[in-house]
Amino acid sequence: MSRAVHLDGITKRFPGVVANDDVDLAVERGTVHALLGENGAGKTTLMNVLYGLYEPTSGRVVVDGEEREFDSPRDAIDAGVGMIHQHFMLVDPMTVAENITLGNEPRKWGGLTVDRERARREVVDLSERYGFDVDPDARIEDVSVGVQQRVEILKALYRGADVLVLDEPTAVLTPQEVEDLFEVFDELTDQGKTIVFITHKLGEAMHAADEITVLRDGKNVGTVEADGTTREELARMMVGREVLLEVEARAGEAGDPVLDVADVSVRDERGVTVVDGVSFDVHAGEVFGIAGVDGNGQAELVEAITGMRRPESGRVRFEDEDVTDWSRRRRIDAGMAYVPEDRQERGLVMAFDLVGNGVLGSQHTPPYARGGRMDWAAAREHAESIIEEYDVRPPDPDAAARALSGGNQQKFVVGREFARDPALLVATHPTRGVDIGSTEFIRERMLDLRSAGVGVLLVSSKLEEVQGLSDRLAVMHDGDLVAVVDPDSVTEEELGLLMAGEYPEGFDPGAAAEPPDPGDVESRRAGEARTDGEGR
Amino acid sequence: MSGDGEDDRDDGDDRDDGVPIQPGGTGGEDSVLDRARAALDRLARASATERFLLSVAALVLSIVVGTVLVLAAGRATTCETAAFVLTHPTPFGLPRLFSMGFCFDPVAVFDRLFFGALGDPIKQGWGPLTPVRGGPLNPFRQGYELLNPQMAVTLRETTILVFSGLAVAIAFRAGIFNIGTQGQLVLGALGTGLSVLWAAPFAPAGIVGTVLLVTLGLAVGAVVGGIYGAIPGALKAYAEANEVITTIMLNFVATGVAFFLVANYVRNPDSQAVETTPVPDGALIPPLLFEPRDDFSFVALGLGVALVLGVYYMLERTAFGYDVRTSGLQPDAAEYGGVDAERTVVYSMALSGAIGGIGGAIYVLMILGKFQTGVPSYGFDGITVSILAGNNPLGVGFAAFLFGILKSGSTVVQFATDVPPQLVGVLRGLIILFVAMPEFFRLLARGIGPTADPEARAVAADGGEVDDGDAGGRSDGSGTGGGSDE
Repeated sequence: MSRAVHLDGITKRFPGVVANDDVDLAVERGTVHALLGENGAGKTTLMNVLYGLYEPTSGRVVVDGEEREFDSPRDAIDAGVGMIHQHFMLVDPMTVAENITLGNEPRKWGGLTVDRERARREVVDLSERYGFDVDPDARIEDVSVGVQQRVEILKALYRGADVLVLDEPTAVLTPQEVEDLFEVFDELTDQGKTIVFITHKLGEAMHAADEITVLRDGKNVGTVEADGTTREELARMMVGREVLLEVEARAGEAGDPVLDVADVSVRDERGVTVVDGVSFDVHAGEVFGIAGVDGNGQAELVEAITGMRRPESGRVRFEDEDVTDWSRRRRIDAGMAYVPEDRQERGLVMAFDLVGNGVLGSQHTPPYARGGRMDWAAAREHAESIIEEYDVRPPDPDAAARALSGGNQQKFVVGREFARDPALLVATHPTRGVDIGSTEFIRERMLDLRSAGVGVLLVSSKLEEVQGLSDRLAVMHDGDLVAVVDPDSVTEEELGLLMAGEYPEGFDPGAAAEPPDPGDVESRRAGEARTDGEGR
Repeated sequence: MSGDGEDDRDDGDDRDDGVPIQPGGTGGEDSVLDRARAALDRLARASATERFLLSVAALVLSIVVGTVLVLAAGRATTCETAAFVLTHPTPFGLPRLFSMGFCFDPVAVFDRLFFGALGDPIKQGWGPLTPVRGGPLNPFRQGYELLNPQMAVTLRETTILVFSGLAVAIAFRAGIFNIGTQGQLVLGALGTGLSVLWAAPFAPAGIVGTVLLVTLGLAVGAVVGGIYGAIPGALKAYAEANEVITTIMLNFVATGVAFFLVANYVRNPDSQAVETTPVPDGALIPPLLFEPRDDFSFVALGLGVALVLGVYYMLERTAFGYDVRTSGLQPDAAEYGGVDAERTVVYSMALSGAIGGIGGAIYVLMILGKFQTGVPSYGFDGITVSILAGNNPLGVGFAAFLFGILKSGSTVVQFATDVPPQLVGVLRGLIILFVAMPEFFRLLARGIGPTADPEARAVAADGGEVDDGDAGGRSDGSGTGGGSDE
């Protein structure tokens, strides 16, 4: 086999920082290579060097056995290297075919106009060749994130990429979409393409890659065969010490209900009922988990609880008060912390520095504001303490939120919300995009809060997370809580079926839900098996 | 798609995934020149300084382009004697080979435009090289008074523009495109005129009466403008009406209503113009240091400066200001942070309208002494002023002064030269055009500058996301492992 890509002794210095320190990376043709490392390990920098976005301080980039100097991504594309960024670069109102051919459209009439027919045909041919299931005429804004990602891959292939670099491709996908993506990887490598993907998830690297290179602090820690390694070994390479992959056993003692959701229905912007008469409660000192495929109403349910959206019907009670009509600010002040699903849209003001972001939500309450005046000194102290406790990097309270990587943004949001001293914590995907060292820390802190008597409502699409942390686990499907189960006794297969809206054979939802107070939670529509999903 | 709504605006130069960022390729040699350039570059990066330097560069470039225009126009016109002759020196009795006459003298035009607006502070014939050639070091003209009538005109325009610019800036910072400052200003002016006329007979004579009447006038102007601003605010917040449309339309309503009321009910019968009777002299803002006929008062300018500082403080140091800025930058995050979006829209529009209304009040109480229909387009100029200032209250002060100089200088140019007023308008427009495109000069600076900070460019190239091995990440050099250190 020959090497498709060889990065030889790449060093990339930024003023005052060495992001990559003499990194070697060799990728064989027709293989999947995972680049594994924590947030800030230098993975993306290295790939940006390969893609021509950065010029290496020293070192050689060899593609196809030829040494190259890329001045821009255009050069990299010409050399057959395509990159799919974490945030897609697609034009929402345009169709799939238009997006794929954008910038390289086939022309007719002497280049005067775009040959739409040919563009469409080429896209169909391309997607058939690689077994992609995409509708060339669908608009980007109408298709799911998984399909958008495939469009990005097709775009790179259309431009003639032989080496595909994907930056955290699974961060935005549902578990099913992740599986599909890995099948796409297989298809591509079968046809001789080479794939390098960045991840910080051990499981994915082991599952999808042939070889894994681990980066830590900008250095290559080692390259291993995916088949010849273990999760523990990889974790140790990434973090540089032993990591507890399993969360500690739970020892929660549930108290009174802090949150009582009664028969809540929510409609989305289009007027479709996406949450349909959901009831449950969360007790002080327990973690109530909601599992489910994204887009089954979890987001809207959480918004109704936290005051971002008005429910169509039903009541929300918080600490014995009916808060259904309360404003968002009143709920924050009453002790409701909320780690939102989308940190860049909601959780952070991207243009503000961390000092400004640290007070988001408490900008009207002491100690950060007195009599309507902000106390920026107190705010700065607060931001600094979050940064220190949650190891946010760069440790600079004056850095703008947008200058942080996704994982560090998430750590900061989580830190701010956990520090609110809440009675109820609503956390949606709290560890999304966060490296394992910090994930471990966030989970521990969440369990600490629970032990301190905070009620935690945890929504996550990571099964091991909800299963491992929850005291009670509800499964949401198509706007409904289809079952509440005991996370210890339920199997992954059973959960998978429930998430798809089917009941496993011999499954008794009522009996499975044990501690602490199963009676409160009804399992509605029992027996009704629905396989279709409204989708996203 | 990209989940970063706001930062698209800033890093807007990278929509395609492949916008090439030219790696500046200067090698390692660390010459003095390089270091000086780097220092200049850092200086240029500091936002306030940068803004200032960019404005100076813009001014210089616009003067260069303007000079060409003036010369071209001067060639195209016919005149008795050339105002400006382009030729070469003829030492040692060399023959004159080349000489070209122009009807307009660009030096005179720009001299009048800028120094004329300040009342001619510089000595006749004094240039930057004069002291070198043995001339006097002191550039100021003998007998120059800072507080001259032309300066009063400049400051008068500046004052009103400070208010209208500030009004626009507040709304823009809250993410609301308030195009209606003109209407708010007109109605504020009308309200002030009418209320002062009504109250004047009851006011005591002397300074006490003046204070009472002026305060009343300003308050009424603020209230009327504030209410008139709150209307489109409420329409936006509760009826989802696009504020651009509503405020533009409400401008017509305001002008029309003012004309109708004045023409039909309170018109001064002794005047040809559609205007109210003049308010008594005792109700005018006292001129302070200037002559009453100068129509300018430091009291009003002082109030403007105080408001500039106040609005800055409000935005940066108060919880309400935090709400306003958050709503303007990222409405979703504001909502998440407990900001009542509707209320913030209405409040900031009311505040914007109130400041515009005060501008109108000062127009009546300082300049006109009555309300007259056909108020100059201060409100629309306020939009330019605010954008010029990057919607920063402190910048509004400077931008308004630049605008004031240009407005006042234009009249001087028309008096002093034969340049047609339209051409002066073109020059004014050019200057503002160049000042308003800082990005152009940034590009220019990048092109000729040293290897700029690669990190800053990389951010722009990376979809606004410095992921992973982010540069600042380990700037303290500690380089600790990824794990937390519990």
